[in-house]
Amino acid sequence: MSDEAKKKEILEKLRNGVIQYDEDACKEGAQEALDAGIDPNEAIFDGLVSGMEEVGRLFEAQEYFVPEILMCADALYAGLALLKPHCKAMDIGLKGAVVIGTVEGDVHDIGKNLVKMMFDVAGFTVYDLGRDVPLDQFVEEQLRTDSDLVCLSAMMTTSMVGMPKVIEKIKAKNPDVMIMIGGAPTSKELAEKFGADGYAEDASNALKEAIKMVSFLKKLRDEKAAKSK
Amino acid sequence: MDSEPLKKFLKENGATLVGVGDLTIALTREIVHLNRGIALALNRGLNRDTNEQLMRLQQLTEDWLKEKGFRSFSVPPDSDRKKSKCITRLYHLISHKTAATCSGLGWIGKNGLLINGDYGSKLSWATVLTDAPFKPDIPTVKSECGACELCVKHCPSGAVHGRLWSRDNPLREIVSYEKCISLKKKRSIFDEKPNCGLCITICPYSRNGENGHKMMR
Repeated sequence: MSDEAKKKEILEKLRNGVIQYDEDACKEGAQEALDAGIDPNEAIFDGLVSGMEEVGRLFEAQEYFVPEILMCADALYAGLALLKPHCKAMDIGLKGAVVIGTVEGDVHDIGKNLVKMMFDVAGFTVYDLGRDVPLDQFVEEQLRTDSDLVCLSAMMTTSMVGMPKVIEKIKAKNPDVMIMIGGAPTSKELAEKFGADGYAEDASNALKEAIKMVSFLKKLRDEKAAKSK
Repeated sequence: MDSEPLKKFLKENGATLVGVGDLTIALTREIVHLNRGIALALNRGLNRDTNEQLMRLQQLTEDWLKEKGFRSFSVPPDSDRKKSKCITRLYHLISHKTAATCSGLGWIGKNGLLINGDYGSKLSWATVLTDAPFKPDIPTVKSECGACELCVKHCPSGAVHGRLWSRDNPLREIVSYEKCISLKKKRSIFDEKPNCGLCITICPYSRNGENGHKMMR
């Protein structure tokens, strides 16, 4: 078998492993990719992430539901855990660090975890504060880690009301930080009103937004690679 | 769809009991498309590899269903201890006891545990949810504990209220878990075995099944 055909087969295996939430297939595929000398970034983006894109589509078509998405995410992580140590960091002009968490009063973190996953995939350093996070902790963590991005998540309206306070405090100390908010009660209008830079509505939208973001990073990477040739 | 072939297959592979229940009324929006619950039970006491055996059976169930084109979602036996993965966030949405009662394999006893007519509370449980349209077994809707109060009298922390469970009244507190847990904590401080389990061993059903209970009457 030619190298190209073998590569295609391995990438396909990673993609299908994610779609069929088969952790073992993802691990096998990742190991094969490393053994065959495939660029780990390529294995991640053209294999694992390409699978997750299809999962996002299946979710929209209501063929997949929340349990399937989460199992797919676990399969993706199984492959990612093997590939990531071999990745070179992407040079995209960002430091590539993000602070993420579910705000005080809220323990719903499925959407947050999906967004976190896509940041992991994109090679960001993720500072995950978990759920029910006190508002000031976001500000402190951003200052401590000098992250480019802060993501705030809430599923309940009652906890969402804490968001503008955090945004204001962070922007006061460091106006360049990008802030994304997400969760069921948020909207584009609210994001603007709160002074946030982006928003994602719920777990599926968060996934879509995060995939978009990763696809964008991928495009940057490809353009850069094309230039350097 | 007949569930007998699956049950037969799993029993051949070591399952003590297998039931299929309609869980629709117990499920939330995230998982209601998987409304058939396959309750798997093993009578192996606290054998070291009981959980592994149950998970092997779950894998067999998943493979069996997948081959026929159905989806499945396994809730492992020790679901409360698993926290590392994304999917673990959904485990708390379904309890093994609910799957077992809906499959007609037992009721919630005065001791708050699932009691099966033949094995009492000695069984270890695991659940597989699926969208395969199995014809469900007849659910158990009320307690068979009767007037027996052994677990109420013998519970060292006084946690057992002695109330009878019924499916119509799921929110009624049957056991004060705070009292139960505080006793376990106290014991571990004094370097004794933290586990208690008296309400299991004292139950006549656990000792002699149906006959044990008759002797009590």
